[in-house]
Amino acid sequence: MSKHRWPKASRRNFLKGAGFVGAAAAVTPSVVANAMPAAQSEKLIAAPPGPRQIAAETMPPPHDPVNQTSSGGDFMTDVLNSLGIEYMAINCASSYRGLHEAIINHGDNKPEIITCVHEDIAAHMAQGYAKIEGKPLAMACHGTVGLQHAVMAMYNAWCDRVPIIVFGGNIMEADKRAPGAEWVHSAVDIGQLVRDFTKWDDQPASLQHFAESTARAYKIATTPPMGPVFIALDAELQENPLSNAESLRIPKFEQVIPPQGDSAALGEAAKMLVEAQNPLIVCDRVARTPTGMAHLVDLAETLQCGVIDYAGRMNFPSRHPLNQSFNRTLIGQADVILAIEMNDLWGAVNSFSDRIARQSRPATKPGAKIITLGVRDLYLKSNYQDFGRWQDVDLDIAGDGEASLPLLTEAAKQLMDDGRKAVYAARGKKLAAAHLAMVERSKTNATIGWDASPITTARVCAEVYDQIKDEDWSLVGTTIGLSWPHRLWDFRKRYQWNGVSGGGGVGYNLPASLGAALANKKHSRFTVAFGGDGDFMYNPGTLWTAAHHKIPILYIVQNNRAYHQEYMYLTAMAVRHGRGVDRMDIGTTLREPNIDYATVARGMGVHGEGPITEPNDLGPALARAVAVVKSGEPAVVDIVTDPR
Amino acid sequence: MIRSRRFAFTALATAVLSATALAEAPAQVSPQGDAANGKQIYLRDACFTCHGRSGQGGVYRGPAPILARTALPFDGFRELLRDPPGDMPAYSEAVLSDKDIADIYAFLDSLPGPRSPKDIRVLNN
Repeated sequence: MSKHRWPKASRRNFLKGAGFVGAAAAVTPSVVANAMPAAQSEKLIAAPPGPRQIAAETMPPPHDPVNQTSSGGDFMTDVLNSLGIEYMAINCASSYRGLHEAIINHGDNKPEIITCVHEDIAAHMAQGYAKIEGKPLAMACHGTVGLQHAVMAMYNAWCDRVPIIVFGGNIMEADKRAPGAEWVHSAVDIGQLVRDFTKWDDQPASLQHFAESTARAYKIATTPPMGPVFIALDAELQENPLSNAESLRIPKFEQVIPPQGDSAALGEAAKMLVEAQNPLIVCDRVARTPTGMAHLVDLAETLQCGVIDYAGRMNFPSRHPLNQSFNRTLIGQADVILAIEMNDLWGAVNSFSDRIARQSRPATKPGAKIITLGVRDLYLKSNYQDFGRWQDVDLDIAGDGEASLPLLTEAAKQLMDDGRKAVYAARGKKLAAAHLAMVERSKTNATIGWDASPITTARVCAEVYDQIKDEDWSLVGTTIGLSWPHRLWDFRKRYQWNGVSGGGGVGYNLPASLGAALANKKHSRFTVAFGGDGDFMYNPGTLWTAAHHKIPILYIVQNNRAYHQEYMYLTAMAVRHGRGVDRMDIGTTLREPNIDYATVARGMGVHGEGPITEPNDLGPALARAVAVVKSGEPAVVDIVTDPR
Repeated sequence: MIRSRRFAFTALATAVLSATALAEAPAQVSPQGDAANGKQIYLRDACFTCHGRSGQGGVYRGPAPILARTALPFDGFRELLRDPPGDMPAYSEAVLSDKDIADIYAFLDSLPGPRSPKDIRVLNN
């Protein structure tokens, strides 16, 4: 090291040294005087230096300590482990190096570090993980340049109402920042960047503050309506020795018990539903735990009414006779609609046309009553418009859907009598027949273009199911509008489906699916996901994480060589304007050259099959990939498909 | 692939019903069309993007009906293109002539359409 950087040390000691020299110069007028011309110096009357000044001039600067036996990061690690956080998905960054090192050495890599090559991947993995495991993992990044990469995933998690805990490194004290990167990597208010779509954030100024804020963040994130939270990590707090270890306390954490709806209101809802001629349940994000689906089944069977599942979570078994998710004409026939934890109720009960006038009209029949139950609207923010359009309702019950269902069902059972049971049984029988007809019709429709190339999405889904149906499978990713799994597959367990991105931010599917696969790994489940080719290209580096951490997942690339939804939107514009319909591939397609996703996968250390263009090649390729996944490794199958 | 203002799992339910409605319409005499040319137009003018290359249907903002072996009469089919319901864009003469529509109609009529799922093992799980 150069003698100019003495006293030896780190970036901060360098600053301290420089500061010391400057201070010494300011208080040594004799030195200044000695540098002046003699004629001037004779006019000055300088006081003789005192003992402190003499010492400053003659003694070497104090030596900074260079070793320590504890760090704030150690305490932070203990806090994270006290909350049962199993993983920390990261893209490494110097602004949280203190915590990173402490997790590895003090915590013996607990929470387990999951290495990601982009912060968007890490945060999306957190989203996918939480929806399967039912609890958050932590994600860490630079508070400035890393958080800006993570923002899209945090927005998806916000819109999807998923708890993720994001830590962003910062250096709060300006005089502790090294020149250069540490200044552009610091901010006064790092959380401001994500405050519009996080439930809560804080920048702790002490270790005890960190402990309490992290516990609070965990509690807020996991209390319905759930959502992401953010904690800024000051570098000094992480890195420096513990000076007050005996006074630090890890908070006692108790999970909030989700609120049930008001019992009188639930009783009124039960009365309306029991007395209805055609009650209907619509739902989106109801099931939080394995019991949520059972509660919904119990209510539907009690009422013998149809359930339209918007599939934000695994709410209702796909083959249940009362599942009417593909018969939305029931919305126009219902006299009472119970909407549980709906994300977009207005969209469900109104029709809207994407035409010049953008007209809408109710899809419900006149006089139909709407009951809402949920916590979706109990925590909204104003800027981003994810709350959707206002919908008039007749009974609005604030309460967690899953927690409130048993009370509602019990109230309905209390109102039942033998006369009603007979009517209900007839209603249920009719719905069961409609459900069965839907399944048979879906199978018939799936045969259209069965041998075509590019391969139809129906055939892809049927072939995949044939390979995995006897496994303990979990479908954790999909492409826009891909309804074939829910039409053809038998979903009956909570982890067999985990919804979609929430915010529609592209790049969700591959990393979120891997996060879900990480959660499934310890349960020895077989994880499968469909994903689009455009989504894949946002975060292909996810596959390296899959290979590095040996996370088994069967990832099917639905390769239609386009941003296909946009292709269709653009076509609609050209048709409306009466021009250039044959040029809509410009800016919407991913051709010339075609992307070989199997080769991309192999380059990341992942088994790759494809591109599969012939339908008869599909089964054998899938079988090979399934064998790889069952051995504990990830596999990608690139299938060139028809658009939808 | 996947970028959308309205995405994923919404409004899929009426796809099957829409397809059925088309299939149940009475057959009528249709003009002679050129199926080979109709196929070219169907692919060139992006009909396939919503309805599939095999006319198997698909999803745009909501369901896009099955068109293979449509039983709609030609006049009804043409009317559907000129003044469609919902989100389907309206194809004017400037974009598709009546001759183009007749050719597309002939192409759709030439498609094999559905078959029995009982003949396909993986559809019987």
